[in-house]
Amino acid sequence: MRLPLKTLTWLGMTVFLLVILVPFWWIASMSFKTYEQIQFATSIYVPNPFTWENYTGLWTETRFPTWLRNSLITALVVTAITTVVSSLGGYAVARLRFPGRESVASLILILYLIPPALLFIPLYRVLAELGATNHLASLFLSYPTFTVPFCTWLLIGFFKALPDELEEAALIDGAGRVTAFVRVLLPLAAPGLVASAIFAFTLSWNEFLYALVFIQDETATTVPVGLNLLIYGDVFHWGQLMAASVITTIPVVALYVFIHRWMVEGLVAGSVKG
Amino acid sequence: MLDQRISRRSLLAGAVGTSALLTLPRPAAPAVKKGTSLRLWILKTYVEPTNKAIEASAQRWAQKHGASVTVEYFTFEDMQTKYVAAIENKSTPDVGQLETSAPARFSGMGQLVDLTSFARQIEGEVGKPPANVAPVTMVGDKIYALPWYVMAGFWYVWRDVFEKGKVKLPNTFEEAKQAAAALNRPKDNFYGMGQSWNRTADGYGVMQSLMYSYGAGWAGKDGKYKSIKTSQMQAAMKWATDIYKDGIQPADTLTWTGSGNNENFIAKNIAQTSNGPSITFALENALAKATDAKERKTREEAIANHMALPHPAGPEGRRMWAIAMSFGIFKSSKDPEAAMSLIAHMLSPEETVSVMKDSYGQFAPVMDKARAASKDYFNKNENYRTFGRAAEWFVPTGFPGPVTAAAAEVQASNVLTDAPAKVIVDKWSVEQAIDWEDKKIKEIYDTLRG
Amino acid sequence: MRPHASLWKRARIREAGTALLFLLPLLVLVVALIVYPVYRAVWLSLTDKLVGYPERFVGLKNYFYLAEDDTFHQVIRNSFVFTVVSVGLKVVTGVLMALVLNNVIRGRNFFRGLFLLPWITSTVIIALTWRWMFDAFPGRGFFNSVLLDLGLLSRPIAFMATPEGAMMAVIVANWWRGFPFFGVSFLAGLQAIPRELYEAASVDGATPWHRFWHITLPGLKHVMIVTTLLSFILTINDFNIIYVMTRGGPGSATQIFATYSYQVAFNQLRWGRGVTICLFVVPILVLGIILISRYLLRDKK
Repeated sequence: MRLPLKTLTWLGMTVFLLVILVPFWWIASMSFKTYEQIQFATSIYVPNPFTWENYTGLWTETRFPTWLRNSLITALVVTAITTVVSSLGGYAVARLRFPGRESVASLILILYLIPPALLFIPLYRVLAELGATNHLASLFLSYPTFTVPFCTWLLIGFFKALPDELEEAALIDGAGRVTAFVRVLLPLAAPGLVASAIFAFTLSWNEFLYALVFIQDETATTVPVGLNLLIYGDVFHWGQLMAASVITTIPVVALYVFIHRWMVEGLVAGSVKG
Repeated sequence: MLDQRISRRSLLAGAVGTSALLTLPRPAAPAVKKGTSLRLWILKTYVEPTNKAIEASAQRWAQKHGASVTVEYFTFEDMQTKYVAAIENKSTPDVGQLETSAPARFSGMGQLVDLTSFARQIEGEVGKPPANVAPVTMVGDKIYALPWYVMAGFWYVWRDVFEKGKVKLPNTFEEAKQAAAALNRPKDNFYGMGQSWNRTADGYGVMQSLMYSYGAGWAGKDGKYKSIKTSQMQAAMKWATDIYKDGIQPADTLTWTGSGNNENFIAKNIAQTSNGPSITFALENALAKATDAKERKTREEAIANHMALPHPAGPEGRRMWAIAMSFGIFKSSKDPEAAMSLIAHMLSPEETVSVMKDSYGQFAPVMDKARAASKDYFNKNENYRTFGRAAEWFVPTGFPGPVTAAAAEVQASNVLTDAPAKVIVDKWSVEQAIDWEDKKIKEIYDTLRG
Repeated sequence: MRPHASLWKRARIREAGTALLFLLPLLVLVVALIVYPVYRAVWLSLTDKLVGYPERFVGLKNYFYLAEDDTFHQVIRNSFVFTVVSVGLKVVTGVLMALVLNNVIRGRNFFRGLFLLPWITSTVIIALTWRWMFDAFPGRGFFNSVLLDLGLLSRPIAFMATPEGAMMAVIVANWWRGFPFFGVSFLAGLQAIPRELYEAASVDGATPWHRFWHITLPGLKHVMIVTTLLSFILTINDFNIIYVMTRGGPGSATQIFATYSYQVAFNQLRWGRGVTICLFVVPILVLGIILISRYLLRDKK
């Protein structure tokens, strides 16, 4: 049976939309139900009566505001560190000629592929010896180990795509390499920098394993670990957990709405061009 | 010149006076310097009012002595990792609540202060623990922790279901299994029992109660490893796996989280389950939140119909593993005297009873003075009377031997609940599973030092 | 010697010096927090480190233990099943998603962005979400609620109660999270295929299927290989989804390298053995890296 392309396309779109959106709706809908509604399975699909108590309870009864603050601070600090380190390194590999340049590029890719699961135990000891465990500092130090390689890789692609002439012009005019970098190249690479910053922010915001292992103090931990903690023992506060999930996802989605174009460009820069 | 001599004399006088003071016997209560700051680690229980009450008690001590206490929580889930991480990082608290096997484990690592003389000192004030609970806090004849309360599991049943099915309320594990078979109605999505062998206290705790009640244990009275390849262990393992094989439990029982059996019991999907008093708390809470008369009636019926029986007995008696929480002081504490003062305060009968009143029955005091003082509270109704008896049936990890680090690791390694899972999920035979479990336990005892 | 040559040489040295300066932060980070811990990891795997006690050198004992440990064998099997099936599904779905989106003219960017939502959501939240989607309790389980209400089921199904069911559930969660990445990459790949090829083929009377098989797929080959390799490496090292959804259960049915390593290290307190588990992944990692480097870097010249 041959269906016209248009029908197939819209069929496909509907299926994908359902697949992608239904889980989000399920969570959001549960976040507006009371514990009893969930426990006794009343009003399954649309919460009735609708309640905000999970959101308010989350804010007043749990440490969620603290976790949110911790996640935010961590993400911002790590993004800053990452952007600086990655843009410097990316520029060097993309634009400067030096022996071993190709090896460095390969090394950066390899580093990204080293799993946090391999590093978490020895990193834990190293951080403990530095006295950084149980503080956000442990995350400031460990998160760049995965954000920097990825973002550097991304920026190498971006910098390489920029024309050489602009830099040459600046150099001929007597500017040093550093000035050329800051004044000329950075502004042009803005989309790449923004994509890289958003990536770093998102990766930090969502990270779980390191936060779980390096920080034991409930008041010093981040949202993903906190959510895990909300599942305490016999009483699993479903509604609050859902509410927390909704709140946590919103900033990333919001950020993302503005820059997804650039992000997609960045994502595919490496894999497609080749 | 004269001034100098006078001052030297007064200096001498002062010196004599001070040394005289120093030779006086020390006062009984530990002294607390003003402005001392202590870190206290508390188990976050299932009942939030209890946690708040404990914190309030600690703050009352702080106010009384012009000191400050920072309370940090750990949960049932992360209690191992949190303490372990703190030990590795050398960031242990001053005072920590330690669960059943922790005093043995941590004192073995050299982490805890010897509290033997302190315990004698405050005996007049708080009393002693009963003989079956005391071993939890002792290694050899030294005391490393002071027990505060026992959080036990009880056998929850729906009384009306039993009455309708004309089944006798169970007293032993075997009776419970037979009752489950009689009450089982899978067509109506109702099952006779819900016992999960998961990695929570609802899992490994009940497994130990089962084993010890059947006379199966992995350690002898001397605390050394003993093989579990015995007929008693076979019987216990058979019970543990038959309840799955016979189809008298919901299909997903094995994968329940700690709250799975609560929810299924409250939803009246199962007739029996083992749990702490938090089920009663949840039902009482639901009644308080009822929005209309019809709902209120349903909730009141639920409270009237649910019953907490003593934990089932086995051929060798009624032995119940429970979470016994004690206070210990870590050697890293900069002010052990203040820590002792805090502990004495919290263990006092008045403070214990005030905390217990907010615990909805899950907190059964251990020290005999506090137990005596709490008799009235537990007389509230039948369920509460059962709750109050928890300390009677208590046996610790590694029964009949003392609690040792190796016994603690056996519990922490999940081997106790992984073994029945191998029969249920991987379709091993009971003998194979016991062999595997025995091998793992032996390995722990062989490799663990000190 | 021409003065020009030595000028060049000096310029190059200066450039190398600047490069070093620019690369310094990166190098410090890498050496201190990646290379050094890896070195420590290898050392730790040769000890019997138990938390709270000082470590003792035991040579390859941990490796031998794991080689004979049947749970570890299961972990290896699970890791490969999880990764291969999940990545396979992601590739297929990615191609479908790219084809569909490619045909959408109006609002394509909007939809492309919308479809990427799972990819940017925290994996912890995704794990929790799918845990509830598959829950046996109708109040929480989406599939059970729907099937029960449609009358297709009389009793709820405990999807995650069996080893197969649990594995399926975690694969679905991983797939849902990851396929948008494939889709978006493939979409970009599709758009890089020259139109003329399609036009020529149509003129020759090729069927849509023929066009797909002989033009589209080969055109996507490079993107497919790179994305698949990347995803393979990231998936086999997953921790979050499995830890939060099943903790590796029931039994050890969904236990994979990272979660088993965590359990051994933090529940059983055996750090020596825990690290060794992860080191077993290194050969796979190295292979994957070599393959990726060849594909990604050779064309970068």
